[in-house]
Parts: sequence; structure tokens; C-alpha cells
Amino acid sequence: MRWCLSLLSFCFLAVAHALSSSGNRLLVVLEDADDKGLYSTFWSDLEARGYDLDFQSPKSSDLSLFKYGEKAYDHLLILPPRSKGLGPALSPKNIVDFVNDDGNVLLGLSGKSTTPSAISSLLIELDFHMSSDRSSVVVDHFNYDTISAPEKHDVLIVPRPGQLRPDTKDFFGGEGVLAFPTASPHTLGDDNNLVAPIVRAPATAYSYNPKESAGSVEEVAATGSQLDIVSAMQGRNSARFTLLGSVESLQDQWFSATVKTPSGKKTQTANREFAQQLTAWTFKETGVLKVGKVEHSLATDVELKEPNPAMYRVKNEIVYSIELSEYDQDRFVPFEVPTNDALQLEFTMLSPFHRLDLEPLGRTANSTIYGTRFTVPDQHGIFSFRVNYKRPFFSNIEEKEEVTVRHFAHDEYPRSWKITGGWVWIAGLWSVIGGFLAFVVVWLYSAPKATVDSKKTQ
Amino acid sequence: MKLGNSLLQLALWGVAALPTVTAAAWGFTDATVSVHTKGAGVGTGSKDVIPDKKALSKPVALGSADTLKVTLTAQEGSSAKQANQVFLLLQDPETGLDISYPFSVKNNGKSRLELAMKDLPLQFLAPSKPLEARFLIGSFGTSAAYNGVAFPLTVARDPNEPVPTVEVSRYGKLPEIHHIFKTDAQSPPVAITLVFVAMALACLPVLGGVWLFLGVNVKQLPTALQSAPLSHTIFLGSLLAIEGVFFLYYTHWNLFQMLPAVAAAGTVAFVSGSRALGEVQGRRLAGLR
Repeated sequence: MRWCLSLLSFCFLAVAHALSSSGNRLLVVLEDADDKGLYSTFWSDLEARGYDLDFQSPKSSDLSLFKYGEKAYDHLLILPPRSKGLGPALSPKNIVDFVNDDGNVLLGLSGKSTTPSAISSLLIELDFHMSSDRSSVVVDHFNYDTISAPEKHDVLIVPRPGQLRPDTKDFFGGEGVLAFPTASPHTLGDDNNLVAPIVRAPATAYSYNPKESAGSVEEVAATGSQLDIVSAMQGRNSARFTLLGSVESLQDQWFSATVKTPSGKKTQTANREFAQQLTAWTFKETGVLKVGKVEHSLATDVELKEPNPAMYRVKNEIVYSIELSEYDQDRFVPFEVPTNDALQLEFTMLSPFHRLDLEPLGRTANSTIYGTRFTVPDQHGIFSFRVNYKRPFFSNIEEKEEVTVRHFAHDEYPRSWKITGGWVWIAGLWSVIGGFLAFVVVWLYSAPKATVDSKKTQ
Repeated sequence: MKLGNSLLQLALWGVAALPTVTAAAWGFTDATVSVHTKGAGVGTGSKDVIPDKKALSKPVALGSADTLKVTLTAQEGSSAKQANQVFLLLQDPETGLDISYPFSVKNNGKSRLELAMKDLPLQFLAPSKPLEARFLIGSFGTSAAYNGVAFPLTVARDPNEPVPTVEVSRYGKLPEIHHIFKTDAQSPPVAITLVFVAMALACLPVLGGVWLFLGVNVKQLPTALQSAPLSHTIFLGSLLAIEGVFFLYYTHWNLFQMLPAVAAAGTVAFVSGSRALGEVQGRRLAGLR
């Protein structure tokens, strides 16, 4: 019954939201309506993918992210404002509240104007750090576009990003190069596993404030690949926040520009594909995981007569399986764990007693079933099956199911005659019993010795 | 204006296409690298001249008390000039990590950089291969920037000092854990057990033998069975029955099956036993025992 309901609700969702797994209401915050035309291809691409775009100026009085306490939009796209801030409706607190309420945000910055301090304080809350002057531009004298920026070197040409780490899925890869005109750089917090870089600057790049007239750069906060141009933050609630350092890279002119680096050949930019990948990830069209059926049972219970019992005994053999799907553009597909990575099951009481890699056991039309088999530890108590799969760019999975583990009942131990060491005691017992019976017979019926008889007769 | 722009672009393409006509490239001259140990006298450390646009083949070692000094004069073409970017780029060839240190540059292009071990990030303190130090010299405009290896840098740490590490939390797979079970209870070898079983069982024949030696007999059994046959048979039978019930309890009965059976057999043993013992008393009074 529950399955039918969830299937039904899934169908409804699929009808209501053509594409994103979390809604299609997209608010675009654009200060200058004239700028809208510069991004026409980007808007039409988004609309073609089923988004319902609502363009608002941050100054608009009826702009609000929430209505009756609920989110008024599912996603938020902010283009850098010209004025000093984004206004009261888009204060850092409101945007953080929006993210906390599962809203996704794509924030564009531009090195052309100083970033308002309101935005930089929002970014600090999410562990993105900007330089203190907030108006730096990434400059690279080795990887710039010689056609459009022969003098200023501020149109950065970088290859499409690859895998972040050998064990992550590549959501942003592909052929071609990306152009980032007047990119505003940022750095990421050191010890934060919620943030992940998407595009880093090349090793030869540095951040430069065009307003400074000093002949040579002598003070740098970060250089090279420590400067990030595009980064992502995914909260514990799986809400996504993407920071794009160069909003100009979304403009029509850069979607199909011809660029040339000082050492390379003329190539076409792949900005359009990258913008599609970036918005798809941010607005939850990709990298969204869903848990289906979770089952555990005794390994001997092959026909699953008793699935998910509430109690196991120590040293029972258990089989566990979990069904996972991944949302890909417009539908759920079987989830494949990236190579070098592993989906892990923990059997924990306070700390894990077992942490096992789950193996793919089977595949349905839109899910993969992962499972394993293990022996319950020889420790009784309240345990839980935990699948805690948190990886960069994948939405978080945290499945937890509690079970009781009891010790052996009195009649589940091996009987004493099965223990060879106990045979001595068993033999001793029966020889005492035999001796007792013999003694009773002897005591009852033994006649005194003849010598005693002769004494008595005397 | 537009036409002017495209003409300019065309001109620039032309410039780019003809390398012979390209504007001057950035480079350097008078580059030296020296290492001074703190506390050591003047003129002790090493000093090497880096040939123009080439790399020093011999690695430069930087110890924990040392200061690395690099000087160079940036040139555009062949004239000394101040560049916007004069950096020393350190790169770990294994991991690809990079960090740049800007030189302090004078108006005439003379640049110098001092670097101590404490300026290096932790990740560079124990590299498996020498770090690659490169010069990055570039500026705005059309001149090609310079990016070339300057010298290999080895980090000479005191081997007794532990390399500082930094723990950062990243989401990823964790090492597998397999529970280590307590070892099962062990029995001694069956042969030894059987020896002791034989000893335990041998007690019975030994007891019988000792009794026979002492002259134990059952000569009065017929007399007893004659005078009180029922009570003797029932008494012995009930004793056997009690042991039998205990055996069943040991193998598969539970307590609630065993208790009524023992109570019944016990009552029978009590009643028949008092009769049987009465007969034994009769024999004693008759002087038969």
C-alpha cells in the first residue's frame, strides 16, 4: 500500500516538476532589467528545461523568498548587484534561512564591480572567503584570451574541470575550454567538508586589484590553484549553494565565443554546456540520491518470511540490502558507486563494530540493490544498521535502523555432551549414581560375614 | 568604433601569427640563489648563479635554520623593467600542489625574495621528490610571459623531528572494520578426556572389587523378597524411576515435566521404602544382620 502511495506521489511530482527533483520555481534576482538581454540563451535554456523563471529586482517591494512561512521559490539565482547590497528581502539571514529550508542558490559574482559587503558576509557564513578589498580579479599571464583581452589578461581560459578526487563522480567534465571573464576569486575554508571546489584557477594565476596602481604585486593572500572560481556548498540538508566567480561567463557572447590562449590554438568555449551542468547540479537535476527499500533478515531466512525483525541474537548471520536510485536530469536511474569509492554499512552501538563495503547485488529499472552478509558481534545491546553516505556533489544519505541484539537463550547453548571436555564430569556423575544404587542394594540385602555370625552365635 | 576594434583584433591576430614580429618576451638576468644559515658567519652559505632562461641542475637545499635568497632582474626583451607578476612558484611534482611567493620588485626590475622554512606550507615539508621552483614573470600587454624551471628545491629537515601533520575532515570512504570475536571455549584433546572418563568410570568396578574383598554379598535378597516382595520391588523400582526421570530431565524434559514425576516417584519411594525398611528392621531384630 505504501509502495503504491509513494509511486503515485512520485508520478504527481514528475508531472508537476518537469525536470528538477525539487521543484521548478526559480527566482532570478537581476538589478538592471537591461542586462536580461545579455543572458538570453541562458534563460531560454533554463526555460526549455522546465523552469518557471521569475525576474525580480532586489529593490522590488513585493519581493520575498517566503510566503505564509513557506518557500515562495524552490531555487534562487542571484546576479551581482550594482548597488551596495541586495536589499532587505535578500539579507544574508534570509538567504541562509532559504538554504536551511532546502532552497538552492546560485550566486554569481563579477570582478567588474566591488562585491557588496552583505554578500561577502553571507559567503563567510558558508565558509567561502573573499579578499579583503572584495574587488580583485583573477589574472593569469599564461592562460588568458588573446582575442578579447590582449591587454588586461583578465579573461581566464581554463580546461573543463575533471574529477575533484579519484573517488568522486565527475558532474562537470567534458571536452573544451571555459572562459571566465573578470572572475572574482575566492578561497575555501580549510576544514570544511561541506564545501568543494568546482573550477580552480591555474597554478600561474594570481588575484589582482585593478584599482591598485602599484607596479608589481607584492602582497598576495592566495595564488594559483588555491584561488577558486566556481565552488559549491552542500548543506547537511542537501540544499545546494553554488558560487560562480564570473557571472559574465553565462552571457550569450561567451556561450559560443572563439578564444585563444597565448600558447594554444583557437577554440570554441564550452561555457553553454558548463552552465547547463552547473545549473543542473545546483538546482538538483543531478547528483540526487534516493533510498528505496531497506531490508535485513537472518541469512537462513532465504524466503524472507520475517523481513526486518526487531531482534537478533549474538553471532547470527545477517543479510542486509538497500536500494538506491540517482536522479539524472529527468528520471531516477540505478545508482552506481563511483570507482575507488564505497557504499558502507556500519553496525554500531556507540561506535561501529562492523563497517563493511556494500556490493551491488541486483538492479531494477531505476535502482541498484546493494547488500552484504555478516555475523552479529558477540556483544548484546541496542545496535543500529547505519548507511551514512556523504560525498562531495551527491546529496546526503543517512539511513539508520535500530535492532536489539540479545545473548544466547539458556536452550541455545550446545548441550553438555557435545562438549568433549565435559565428558569426564558426566561419567563421574553416572558412576556416582550407579554406586548409589549398588550401595542401596548392598545395604538392604548384604548378609554379615561368617566370622561376625560365629561371634554372634558365641 | 566597431570597425576600429575589429581592425585592431585583426592586427593583433596578425601579430600573434607571426612569431618573428611578436613583441618582446619577458625574461630575467643576473639571477642568483643563495642559502644562508642563521648564526653562521658571512660568506659561509652557498651561492649559485642561475643562467638566463635556464635551470640550475643542482638542487638547492633549505634547512630549518636557513634562509633562501633569490635575486633577479626582470627583463622585457633585453631591457630591465618592472613586471606586474614576478613570482617564485613552488610545485610538488607528486601531488601537483602549488604555491607562489611574490618577489619585491624595484622600478628597475631588480627583484629579491627571502624564504625560510616556516614560510612553506606543511604539505611541502616532507616531499618525496625535490620541489620544483619556477620563475613566473609576466605583465599586462602583449609581451609573452616567462614560466620556466629555476632550480630544484630540497627540504632538509632534521630527521629526528616529526613532520607536522594536519588533520582535515573530508567526506569519503572510511577504512573497513571487521569485529574481532572472542575465541570460543576450547576443550582439551579427546584422548586426554577419554583417559579421565575411563578413570571416572573405573571407580565403579574398583568399588565393587573392594566390596567383594570385604565380603559384601546379596545373600538376604531372596529372604527379603519372600517376606515383603511388593514393597522391596516397588522401592527399588521407584529409586530407578527417580534416576530415570533425572536422565530424561537432562536430555529433553523441562522442570515442569520433571517435578510432578519426581514427586510421584518420591512418594512411592517414601511409602514403599518405609515398608521395606520395616522388613530390614525385622531381619535385624531376628539377628540376621
